[in-house]
Amino acid sequence: MSLETIIELSKASIFQKHNLVLTDVSLTIDKGEFVYLIGKTGSGKSSLLRTLYADIPLLQGEGNIAGYNLKKIKRKEIPFLRRKLGVVFQDFQLLPDRSINENLFFVMKATGWKDKEQMQQRTQAVLEKVHLGTKGFKMPHELSGGEQQRVVIARALVNEPEVILADEPTGNLDTETAQEIVGLLHEISKTGRAVIIATHDFHLFEYFKGRTIRFEGGRITDSKTTETTTV
Amino acid sequence: MPEEKNRRRIQSSSVTTVISVSLVLFLLGLLGILFISAKKIADHFKENIDFHVYLKDNAKDEEVERLHNFLKASIYVKSSEYLSKDSAAARYKKKIGEDFERFIGYNPLPASMEVQLKAAYTNHDSIVWIQKQILDFSSVKEFDYQESLVNMVNKNINRLELILVIFIGLLMLIALGLINNTIRLAIYSRRYIIKTMQLVGATAGFIRKPFLLNGIKHGIISGIIANLILGGIIYAALKNIPDLEKVTDVRMMIYLYGIILILGILISGISTFFAVRKYLRLSSEELYY
Repeated sequence: MSLETIIELSKASIFQKHNLVLTDVSLTIDKGEFVYLIGKTGSGKSSLLRTLYADIPLLQGEGNIAGYNLKKIKRKEIPFLRRKLGVVFQDFQLLPDRSINENLFFVMKATGWKDKEQMQQRTQAVLEKVHLGTKGFKMPHELSGGEQQRVVIARALVNEPEVILADEPTGNLDTETAQEIVGLLHEISKTGRAVIIATHDFHLFEYFKGRTIRFEGGRITDSKTTETTTV
Repeated sequence: MPEEKNRRRIQSSSVTTVISVSLVLFLLGLLGILFISAKKIADHFKENIDFHVYLKDNAKDEEVERLHNFLKASIYVKSSEYLSKDSAAARYKKKIGEDFERFIGYNPLPASMEVQLKAAYTNHDSIVWIQKQILDFSSVKEFDYQESLVNMVNKNINRLELILVIFIGLLMLIALGLINNTIRLAIYSRRYIIKTMQLVGATAGFIRKPFLLNGIKHGIISGIIANLILGGIIYAALKNIPDLEKVTDVRMMIYLYGIILILGILISGISTFFAVRKYLRLSSEELYY
Protein backbone atom coordinates (compact mmCIF):
# COMPACT_ATOMS: atom_id res chain seq x y z
CA MET A 1 0.00 0.00 0.00
CA SER A 2 1.72 3.15 -1.19
CA LEU A 3 1.47 6.46 0.60
CA GLU A 4 -0.88 7.72 -2.05
CA THR A 5 -3.31 4.83 -1.64
CA ILE A 6 -6.48 5.80 0.18
CA ILE A 7 -8.70 2.79 -0.55
CA GLU A 8 -7.56 -0.78 -0.82
CA LEU A 9 -9.74 -3.85 -1.17
CA SER A 10 -8.39 -7.33 -1.70
CA LYS A 11 -10.44 -10.43 -2.45
CA ALA A 12 -13.45 -8.82 -0.83
CA SER A 13 -16.87 -10.40 -1.11
CA ILE A 14 -19.82 -8.12 -0.60
CA PHE A 15 -23.10 -9.31 0.79
CA GLN A 16 -26.43 -7.57 0.78
CA LYS A 17 -28.02 -9.17 3.84
CA HIS A 18 -27.40 -12.84 3.02
CA ASN A 19 -27.13 -12.48 -0.74
CA LEU A 20 -23.72 -12.39 -2.28
CA VAL A 21 -23.63 -9.45 -4.71
CA LEU A 22 -19.93 -9.12 -5.53
CA THR A 23 -17.12 -11.64 -5.29
CA ASP A 24 -13.40 -11.30 -5.36
CA VAL A 25 -13.18 -7.54 -5.47
CA SER A 26 -9.61 -6.26 -5.44
CA LEU A 27 -8.78 -2.66 -6.17
CA THR A 28 -6.69 0.23 -4.98
CA ILE A 29 -7.59 3.87 -5.38
CA ASP A 30 -5.10 6.70 -4.86
CA LYS A 31 -5.61 10.23 -3.61
CA GLY A 32 -6.78 12.62 -6.34
CA GLU A 33 -8.19 9.86 -8.53
CA PHE A 34 -11.49 10.32 -10.35
CA VAL A 35 -13.22 6.97 -10.62
CA TYR A 36 -16.54 5.88 -12.11
CA LEU A 37 -18.28 2.76 -10.91
CA ILE A 38 -20.43 1.71 -13.84
CA GLY A 39 -23.07 -0.94 -14.01
CA LYS A 40 -26.76 -1.63 -14.18
CA THR A 41 -28.90 -1.05 -11.13
CA GLY A 42 -28.52 -4.01 -8.84
CA SER A 43 -25.02 -4.80 -10.05
CA GLY A 44 -23.53 -4.00 -6.63
CA LYS A 45 -22.19 -0.46 -7.05
CA SER A 46 -24.15 0.89 -4.13
CA SER A 47 -23.31 -2.12 -2.01
CA LEU A 48 -19.62 -1.54 -2.68
CA LEU A 49 -19.90 2.11 -1.73
CA ARG A 50 -21.91 1.27 1.37
CA THR A 51 -19.24 -1.20 2.36
CA LEU A 52 -16.70 1.59 1.99
CA TYR A 53 -18.57 3.85 4.37
CA ALA A 54 -19.30 0.95 6.72
CA ASP A 55 -23.04 0.83 6.24
CA ILE A 56 -22.60 -2.81 5.20
CA PRO A 57 -20.07 -4.87 7.15
CA LEU A 58 -17.19 -6.43 5.23
CA LEU A 59 -17.35 -10.12 6.05
CA GLN A 60 -14.92 -11.69 3.58
CA GLY A 61 -11.63 -10.39 2.25
CA GLU A 62 -9.67 -7.37 3.37
CA GLY A 63 -10.46 -3.70 3.13
CA ASN A 64 -8.76 -0.48 4.19
CA ILE A 65 -10.02 3.05 3.73
CA ALA A 66 -8.48 6.25 5.04
CA GLY A 67 -6.56 4.32 7.67
CA TYR A 68 -9.49 2.19 8.93
CA ASN A 69 -9.68 -1.57 8.57
CA LEU A 70 -13.20 -2.26 7.33
CA LYS A 71 -13.21 -5.79 8.65
CA LYS A 72 -12.18 -4.90 12.17
CA ILE A 73 -13.94 -1.58 12.54
CA LYS A 74 -16.07 -1.26 15.68
CA ARG A 75 -19.52 0.30 15.80
CA LYS A 76 -18.11 3.17 17.86
CA GLU A 77 -15.40 3.94 15.30
CA ILE A 78 -17.73 4.19 12.33
CA PRO A 79 -18.67 7.86 12.90
CA PHE A 80 -14.98 8.77 12.89
CA LEU A 81 -14.37 6.89 9.64
CA ARG A 82 -17.30 8.72 8.05
CA ARG A 83 -15.80 12.06 9.01
CA LYS A 84 -12.90 11.27 6.69
CA LEU A 85 -15.29 10.53 3.86
CA GLY A 86 -17.74 12.79 2.12
CA VAL A 87 -20.79 10.88 1.00
CA VAL A 88 -23.17 12.13 -1.71
CA PHE A 89 -26.45 10.28 -1.97
CA GLN A 90 -28.88 9.81 -4.82
CA ASP A 91 -31.72 10.79 -2.53
CA PHE A 92 -29.74 13.70 -1.03
CA GLN A 93 -30.37 12.75 2.64
CA LEU A 94 -30.60 16.31 3.82
CA LEU A 95 -32.27 16.89 7.16
CA PRO A 96 -35.72 18.10 6.07
CA ASP A 97 -36.54 19.80 9.34
CA ARG A 98 -33.90 22.54 9.15
CA SER A 99 -32.41 25.09 6.78
CA ILE A 100 -29.40 24.52 4.52
CA ASN A 101 -27.15 26.43 6.92
CA GLU A 102 -28.47 24.38 9.84
CA ASN A 103 -27.84 21.21 7.85
CA LEU A 104 -24.21 22.15 7.45
CA PHE A 105 -23.99 23.38 11.07
CA PHE A 106 -25.31 20.03 12.18
CA VAL A 107 -22.48 18.19 10.45
CA MET A 108 -19.96 20.56 11.95
CA LYS A 109 -21.38 20.35 15.47
CA ALA A 110 -21.59 16.58 15.17
CA THR A 111 -17.96 16.40 14.17
CA GLY A 112 -16.64 18.58 16.94
CA TRP A 113 -16.70 22.14 15.62
CA LYS A 114 -17.22 24.64 18.42
CA ASP A 115 -16.51 28.17 17.20
CA LYS A 116 -19.65 29.70 15.73
CA GLU A 117 -17.82 32.21 13.56
CA GLN A 118 -15.59 29.55 12.07
CA MET A 119 -18.64 27.45 11.36
CA GLN A 120 -20.34 30.28 9.56
CA GLN A 121 -17.22 31.00 7.53
CA ARG A 122 -16.83 27.36 6.56
CA THR A 123 -20.52 27.10 5.64
CA GLN A 124 -20.25 30.13 3.40
CA ALA A 125 -17.03 28.81 1.86
CA VAL A 126 -18.42 25.40 0.92
CA LEU A 127 -21.72 26.84 -0.29
CA GLU A 128 -19.83 29.24 -2.54
CA LYS A 129 -17.80 26.35 -3.87
CA VAL A 130 -21.03 24.77 -5.11
CA HIS A 131 -22.41 28.16 -6.27
CA LEU A 132 -25.12 28.40 -3.62
CA GLY A 133 -23.62 31.22 -1.57
CA THR A 134 -26.92 33.07 -1.23
CA LYS A 135 -29.30 30.21 -0.45
CA GLY A 136 -28.14 29.05 2.96
CA PHE A 137 -31.25 30.32 4.72
CA LYS A 138 -33.63 28.17 2.64
CA MET A 139 -35.21 24.88 3.66
CA PRO A 140 -34.18 21.81 1.64
CA HIS A 141 -37.63 21.41 0.06
CA GLU A 142 -37.46 24.98 -1.24
CA LEU A 143 -34.53 24.09 -3.50
CA SER A 144 -34.54 22.28 -6.83
CA GLY A 145 -33.09 18.78 -7.10
CA GLY A 146 -29.86 20.06 -8.62
CA GLU A 147 -29.50 22.64 -5.90
CA GLN A 148 -30.16 20.09 -3.18
CA GLN A 149 -27.52 17.81 -4.65
CA ARG A 150 -25.06 20.71 -4.66
CA VAL A 151 -25.85 21.25 -0.97
CA VAL A 152 -25.10 17.61 -0.36
CA ILE A 153 -21.74 18.03 -2.10
CA ALA A 154 -21.09 21.11 0.03
CA ARG A 155 -21.96 19.07 3.10
CA ALA A 156 -19.59 16.32 1.99
CA LEU A 157 -16.80 18.89 1.70
CA VAL A 158 -17.25 20.44 5.14
CA ASN A 159 -14.61 18.39 6.91
CA GLU A 160 -12.04 18.36 4.08
CA PRO A 161 -12.51 14.63 3.44
CA GLU A 162 -9.88 12.54 1.72
CA VAL A 163 -12.47 10.63 -0.25
CA ILE A 164 -15.78 11.62 -1.81
CA LEU A 165 -18.18 8.73 -2.39
CA ALA A 166 -21.10 9.59 -4.65
CA ASP A 167 -23.86 7.04 -5.04
CA GLU A 168 -25.83 7.83 -8.22
CA PRO A 169 -25.49 11.56 -7.53
CA THR A 170 -27.22 12.37 -10.81
CA GLY A 171 -29.91 9.70 -10.66
CA ASN A 172 -32.67 12.17 -9.87
CA LEU A 173 -31.47 14.97 -12.12
CA ASP A 174 -31.83 16.00 -15.78
CA THR A 175 -28.87 15.57 -18.14
CA GLU A 176 -27.73 19.16 -18.02
CA THR A 177 -27.82 19.41 -14.24
CA ALA A 178 -26.19 16.00 -14.03
CA GLN A 179 -23.24 17.24 -16.06
CA GLU A 180 -22.97 20.27 -13.85
CA ILE A 181 -22.85 18.10 -10.73
CA VAL A 182 -20.27 15.70 -12.15
CA GLY A 183 -18.24 18.70 -13.30
CA LEU A 184 -18.24 19.95 -9.76
CA LEU A 185 -17.06 16.58 -8.44
CA HIS A 186 -14.40 16.45 -11.17
CA GLU A 187 -13.07 19.81 -10.02
CA ILE A 188 -12.98 18.57 -6.44
CA SER A 189 -10.85 15.59 -7.46
CA LYS A 190 -8.24 18.01 -8.74
CA THR A 191 -7.72 19.29 -5.18
CA GLY A 192 -6.20 15.94 -4.21
CA ARG A 193 -9.28 14.07 -3.03
CA ALA A 194 -10.28 10.71 -4.43
CA VAL A 195 -13.73 10.97 -5.98
CA ILE A 196 -15.72 7.83 -6.65
CA ILE A 197 -18.98 8.11 -8.54
CA ALA A 198 -21.37 5.21 -8.94
CA THR A 199 -23.58 5.73 -11.98
CA HIS A 200 -25.56 3.93 -14.64
CA ASP A 201 -25.34 6.97 -16.90
CA PHE A 202 -22.84 5.97 -19.59
CA HIS A 203 -22.83 9.43 -21.17
CA LEU A 204 -21.25 11.16 -18.23
CA PHE A 205 -17.74 9.96 -18.77
CA GLU A 206 -17.73 11.25 -22.30
CA TYR A 207 -17.62 14.71 -20.76
CA PHE A 208 -15.35 14.04 -17.81
CA LYS A 209 -12.74 11.38 -18.38
CA GLY A 210 -11.82 9.11 -15.51
CA ARG A 211 -10.91 5.62 -14.49
CA THR A 212 -13.88 3.28 -14.89
CA ILE A 213 -14.69 0.19 -12.92
CA ARG A 214 -17.41 -1.89 -14.54
CA PHE A 215 -19.77 -4.08 -12.56
CA GLU A 216 -21.07 -7.14 -14.31
CA GLY A 217 -22.22 -10.58 -13.20
CA GLY A 218 -21.04 -10.14 -9.64
CA ARG A 219 -17.49 -9.17 -10.65
CA ILE A 220 -15.64 -5.98 -11.49
CA THR A 221 -13.49 -4.97 -14.47
CA ASP A 222 -11.07 -2.13 -13.88
CA SER A 223 -10.00 0.11 -16.79
CA LYS A 224 -6.68 0.69 -15.01
CA THR A 225 -5.64 -2.92 -14.95
CA THR A 226 -7.88 -3.98 -17.87
CA GLU A 227 -7.83 -7.49 -16.64
CA THR A 228 -10.79 -9.41 -15.30
CA THR A 229 -10.32 -10.10 -11.66
CA THR A 230 -11.19 -13.74 -11.86
CA VAL A 231 -9.60 -16.42 -9.79
CA MET B 1 -43.54 31.03 5.82
CA PRO B 2 -42.93 27.37 5.01
CA GLU B 3 -40.23 27.30 7.66
CA GLU B 4 -42.81 28.19 10.25
CA LYS B 5 -45.25 25.66 8.92
CA ASN B 6 -42.59 23.01 9.22
CA ARG B 7 -41.85 23.94 12.77
CA ARG B 8 -45.53 23.88 13.56
CA ARG B 9 -45.79 20.36 12.18
CA ILE B 10 -42.99 19.13 14.42
CA GLN B 11 -44.50 20.94 17.40
CA SER B 12 -47.92 19.46 16.80
CA SER B 13 -46.44 15.96 16.91
CA SER B 14 -44.88 16.85 20.27
CA VAL B 15 -48.24 18.15 21.43
CA THR B 16 -49.89 14.79 20.74
CA THR B 17 -47.12 12.99 22.59
CA VAL B 18 -47.39 15.32 25.57
CA ILE B 19 -51.19 15.01 25.68
CA SER B 20 -51.18 11.23 25.64
CA VAL B 21 -48.43 11.01 28.24
CA SER B 22 -50.25 13.57 30.43
CA LEU B 23 -53.50 11.62 30.29
CA VAL B 24 -51.84 8.36 31.23
CA LEU B 25 -50.02 10.03 34.12
CA PHE B 26 -53.27 11.65 35.18
CA LEU B 27 -55.01 8.26 35.32
CA LEU B 28 -52.16 6.92 37.38
CA GLY B 29 -52.49 9.89 39.72
CA LEU B 30 -56.22 9.35 40.08
CA LEU B 31 -55.59 5.81 41.21
CA GLY B 32 -52.93 7.11 43.57
CA ILE B 33 -55.48 9.42 45.17
CA LEU B 34 -57.89 6.52 45.48
CA PHE B 35 -55.17 4.55 47.21
CA ILE B 36 -54.35 7.38 49.60
CA SER B 37 -58.03 7.89 50.46
CA ALA B 38 -58.62 4.19 50.95
CA LYS B 39 -55.67 4.06 53.28
CA LYS B 40 -56.98 7.07 55.16
CA ILE B 41 -60.44 5.49 55.53
CA ALA B 42 -58.90 2.24 56.68
CA ASP B 43 -56.82 4.11 59.25
CA HIS B 44 -59.96 5.86 60.43
CA PHE B 45 -61.62 2.49 61.05
CA LYS B 46 -58.61 1.12 62.86
CA GLU B 47 -58.24 4.17 65.09
CA ASN B 48 -61.85 3.90 66.26
CA ILE B 49 -61.50 0.48 67.77
CA ASP B 50 -61.89 0.71 71.59
CA PHE B 51 -59.42 -0.88 73.96
CA HIS B 52 -60.40 -1.03 77.63
CA VAL B 53 -57.83 -0.97 80.38
CA TYR B 54 -59.75 -1.90 83.55
CA LEU B 55 -58.31 -0.62 86.79
CA LYS B 56 -58.25 -2.27 90.17
CA ASP B 57 -60.80 -0.85 92.59
CA ASN B 58 -58.06 -0.18 95.13
CA ALA B 59 -55.72 1.55 92.68
CA LYS B 60 -54.18 4.70 94.07
CA ASP B 61 -54.81 8.00 92.33
CA GLU B 62 -51.13 8.68 91.64
CA GLU B 63 -50.73 5.25 90.08
CA VAL B 64 -53.69 5.88 87.82
CA GLU B 65 -52.17 9.24 87.00
CA ARG B 66 -48.86 7.57 86.16
CA LEU B 67 -50.59 5.12 83.82
CA HIS B 68 -52.49 7.91 82.14
CA ASN B 69 -49.32 9.92 81.55
CA PHE B 70 -47.60 6.84 80.22
CA LEU B 71 -50.42 6.25 77.75
CA LYS B 72 -50.46 9.86 76.63
CA ALA B 73 -46.70 9.84 76.04
CA SER B 74 -46.48 6.48 74.24
CA ILE B 75 -46.09 6.41 70.47
CA TYR B 76 -48.83 3.89 69.81
CA VAL B 77 -51.77 5.60 71.55
CA LYS B 78 -54.01 7.82 69.46
CA SER B 79 -56.18 8.97 72.37
CA SER B 80 -56.98 7.87 75.91
CA GLU B 81 -59.68 8.83 78.35
CA TYR B 82 -60.13 8.08 82.03
CA LEU B 83 -63.52 6.65 82.92
CA SER B 84 -64.27 6.57 86.69
CA LYS B 85 -66.48 3.94 88.34
CA ASP B 86 -69.36 6.41 88.50
CA SER B 87 -69.20 7.55 84.91
CA ALA B 88 -68.87 3.91 83.77
CA ALA B 89 -72.06 3.13 85.70
CA ALA B 90 -73.83 6.16 84.28
CA ARG B 91 -72.79 5.21 80.77
CA TYR B 92 -73.98 1.62 81.25
CA LYS B 93 -77.29 2.69 82.74
CA LYS B 94 -77.91 4.86 79.73
CA LYS B 95 -77.03 2.01 77.47
CA ILE B 96 -79.37 -0.62 78.97
CA GLY B 97 -82.00 1.89 80.11
CA GLU B 98 -82.27 0.42 83.61
CA ASP B 99 -80.87 1.39 86.97
CA PHE B 100 -78.97 -1.83 87.66
CA GLU B 101 -77.31 -0.42 90.81
CA ARG B 102 -80.67 -0.30 92.49
CA PHE B 103 -81.35 -4.04 92.29
CA ILE B 104 -77.75 -5.24 92.62
CA GLY B 105 -77.13 -2.85 95.44
CA TYR B 106 -73.65 -1.79 94.45
CA ASN B 107 -71.63 -0.72 91.37
CA PRO B 108 -69.73 -3.69 89.98
CA LEU B 109 -68.15 -1.73 87.13
CA PRO B 110 -64.44 -0.96 87.47
CA ALA B 111 -62.86 2.36 86.57
CA SER B 112 -61.01 2.18 83.22
CA MET B 113 -58.88 3.86 80.60
CA GLU B 114 -60.59 3.96 77.23
CA VAL B 115 -57.78 3.80 74.66
CA GLN B 116 -57.67 4.09 70.86
CA LEU B 117 -54.48 2.91 69.17
CA LYS B 118 -52.81 4.44 66.15
CA ALA B 119 -53.56 2.61 62.88
CA ALA B 120 -50.00 1.35 62.46
CA TYR B 121 -50.25 -0.51 65.81
CA THR B 122 -53.71 -1.97 65.40
CA ASN B 123 -52.52 -5.47 64.55
CA HIS B 124 -52.23 -8.65 66.52
CA ASP B 125 -48.48 -8.61 67.16
CA SER B 126 -48.36 -5.02 68.34
CA ILE B 127 -51.42 -5.44 70.52
CA VAL B 128 -49.90 -8.42 72.35
CA TRP B 129 -46.80 -6.36 73.03
CA ILE B 130 -48.80 -3.30 74.15
CA GLN B 131 -50.97 -5.48 76.38
CA LYS B 132 -47.89 -6.82 78.13
CA GLN B 133 -46.56 -3.30 78.74
CA ILE B 134 -49.86 -2.10 80.19
CA LEU B 135 -50.42 -5.13 82.40
CA ASP B 136 -47.07 -4.37 84.03
CA PHE B 137 -48.73 -1.46 85.81
CA SER B 138 -49.83 -2.51 89.28
CA SER B 139 -53.06 -0.52 89.01
CA VAL B 140 -54.25 -2.46 85.96
CA LYS B 141 -56.62 -5.36 86.45
CA GLU B 142 -57.42 -6.33 82.90
CA PHE B 143 -56.77 -5.39 79.26
CA ASP B 144 -59.75 -6.05 77.06
CA TYR B 145 -60.67 -5.60 73.42
CA GLN B 146 -62.69 -7.27 70.69
CA GLU B 147 -60.08 -9.48 69.10
CA SER B 148 -62.40 -10.70 66.37
CA LEU B 149 -63.15 -7.13 65.32
CA VAL B 150 -59.45 -6.28 65.07
CA ASN B 151 -58.78 -9.39 63.02
CA MET B 152 -61.69 -8.77 60.69
CA VAL B 153 -60.78 -5.13 60.08
CA ASN B 154 -57.18 -6.05 59.38
CA LYS B 155 -58.09 -8.90 57.08
CA ASN B 156 -60.48 -6.83 55.02
CA ILE B 157 -58.15 -3.87 54.77
CA ASN B 158 -55.24 -6.06 53.71
CA ARG B 159 -57.38 -7.63 51.02
CA LEU B 160 -58.53 -4.23 49.79
CA GLU B 161 -54.97 -2.91 49.73
CA LEU B 162 -53.76 -5.92 47.80
CA ILE B 163 -56.46 -5.43 45.17
CA LEU B 164 -55.59 -1.75 44.85
CA VAL B 165 -51.88 -2.44 44.58
CA ILE B 166 -52.48 -5.02 41.86
CA PHE B 167 -54.73 -2.56 40.07
CA ILE B 168 -52.16 0.21 40.27
CA GLY B 169 -49.43 -2.15 39.12
CA LEU B 170 -51.53 -3.18 36.15
CA LEU B 171 -52.30 0.40 35.24
CA MET B 172 -48.63 1.25 35.59
CA LEU B 173 -47.82 -1.48 33.08
CA ILE B 174 -50.44 -0.14 30.69
CA ALA B 175 -49.11 3.37 31.21
CA LEU B 176 -45.60 2.22 30.45
CA GLY B 177 -46.73 0.44 27.31
CA LEU B 178 -48.84 3.33 26.07
CA ILE B 179 -46.23 6.00 26.69
CA ASN B 180 -43.51 3.81 25.23
CA ASN B 181 -45.58 3.25 22.12
CA THR B 182 -46.39 6.92 21.66
CA ILE B 183 -42.76 7.89 21.98
CA ARG B 184 -41.61 5.11 19.68
CA LEU B 185 -43.99 6.35 17.03
CA ALA B 186 -42.67 9.88 17.38
CA ILE B 187 -39.10 8.62 17.01
CA TYR B 188 -40.09 6.24 14.21
CA SER B 189 -41.25 9.21 12.18
CA ARG B 190 -37.74 10.60 12.44
CA ARG B 191 -35.84 7.40 11.67
CA TYR B 192 -34.49 8.66 8.34
CA ILE B 193 -33.18 11.77 9.99
CA ILE B 194 -31.38 9.59 12.52
CA LYS B 195 -29.90 7.56 9.66
CA THR B 196 -28.79 10.68 7.82
CA MET B 197 -27.13 11.99 10.96
CA GLN B 198 -25.25 8.72 11.26
CA LEU B 199 -24.16 8.85 7.63
CA VAL B 200 -22.56 12.26 8.01
CA GLY B 201 -20.43 11.04 10.90
CA ALA B 202 -22.38 11.97 14.02
CA THR B 203 -21.74 9.71 17.01
CA ALA B 204 -24.62 7.86 18.65
CA GLY B 205 -24.35 10.03 21.75
CA PHE B 206 -24.51 13.23 19.73
CA ILE B 207 -27.64 12.08 17.90
CA ARG B 208 -29.28 10.83 21.07
CA LYS B 209 -28.71 13.95 23.15
CA PRO B 210 -31.33 16.28 21.63
CA PHE B 211 -33.87 13.45 21.51
CA LEU B 212 -33.27 12.67 25.17
CA LEU B 213 -33.46 16.31 26.24
CA ASN B 214 -36.69 16.62 24.32
CA GLY B 215 -38.03 13.44 25.92
CA ILE B 216 -37.21 14.73 29.39
CA LYS B 217 -38.77 18.09 28.56
CA HIS B 218 -41.94 16.32 27.40
CA GLY B 219 -41.91 14.24 30.59
CA ILE B 220 -41.73 17.37 32.74
CA ILE B 221 -44.50 19.15 30.81
CA SER B 222 -46.70 16.04 30.90
CA GLY B 223 -46.11 15.59 34.61
CA ILE B 224 -47.04 19.20 35.28
CA ILE B 225 -50.18 18.98 33.12
CA ALA B 226 -51.25 15.75 34.83
CA ASN B 227 -50.67 17.31 38.26
CA LEU B 228 -52.62 20.44 37.32
CA ILE B 229 -55.65 18.41 36.19
CA LEU B 230 -55.37 16.27 39.31
CA GLY B 231 -55.08 19.33 41.53
CA GLY B 232 -58.06 20.93 39.81
CA ILE B 233 -60.21 17.86 40.33
CA ILE B 234 -59.23 17.56 43.98
CA TYR B 235 -59.94 21.24 44.53
CA ALA B 236 -63.36 20.99 42.88
CA ALA B 237 -64.22 17.83 44.82
CA LEU B 238 -63.23 19.34 48.16
CA LYS B 239 -65.21 22.46 47.42
CA ASN B 240 -68.37 20.55 46.59
CA ILE B 241 -68.07 17.76 49.17
CA PRO B 242 -66.33 19.25 52.23
CA ASP B 243 -66.52 15.87 54.01
CA LEU B 244 -63.87 14.59 51.65
CA GLU B 245 -61.33 16.61 53.58
CA LYS B 246 -61.36 13.83 56.17
CA VAL B 247 -60.00 11.37 53.63
CA THR B 248 -57.35 13.59 52.02
CA ASP B 249 -53.82 13.47 53.27
CA VAL B 250 -51.96 16.62 52.25
CA ARG B 251 -48.49 15.23 52.84
CA MET B 252 -49.19 12.07 50.82
CA MET B 253 -50.73 14.23 48.11
CA ILE B 254 -47.51 16.24 47.76
CA TYR B 255 -45.55 12.98 47.52
CA LEU B 256 -47.98 11.82 44.84
CA TYR B 257 -47.39 14.97 42.77
CA GLY B 258 -43.66 14.42 43.04
CA ILE B 259 -43.96 10.77 42.07
CA ILE B 260 -46.06 11.61 39.01
CA LEU B 261 -43.54 14.21 37.85
CA ILE B 262 -40.62 11.82 38.34
CA LEU B 263 -42.51 8.98 36.65
CA GLY B 264 -43.23 11.26 33.69
CA ILE B 265 -39.57 12.15 33.31
CA LEU B 266 -38.34 8.59 33.83
CA ILE B 267 -40.81 6.85 31.53
CA SER B 268 -40.46 9.46 28.81
CA GLY B 269 -36.67 9.60 29.06
CA ILE B 270 -36.14 5.85 29.16
CA SER B 271 -38.58 5.17 26.32
CA THR B 272 -36.85 7.80 24.20
CA PHE B 273 -33.47 6.30 24.94
CA PHE B 274 -34.49 2.83 23.81
CA ALA B 275 -36.49 4.01 20.81
CA VAL B 276 -33.56 6.07 19.51
CA ARG B 277 -31.16 3.24 20.22
CA LYS B 278 -33.29 0.92 18.16
CA TYR B 279 -33.07 3.16 15.10
CA LEU B 280 -29.40 3.84 15.68
CA ARG B 281 -28.71 0.14 15.42
CA LEU B 282 -30.95 -0.60 12.46
CA SER B 283 -29.25 -0.92 9.10
CA SER B 284 -30.45 1.18 6.19
CA GLU B 285 -32.59 -1.54 4.59
CA GLU B 286 -34.40 -2.34 7.80
CA LEU B 287 -35.61 1.23 8.03
CA TYR B 288 -38.01 0.68 5.17
CA TYR B 289 -39.99 -2.04 6.87
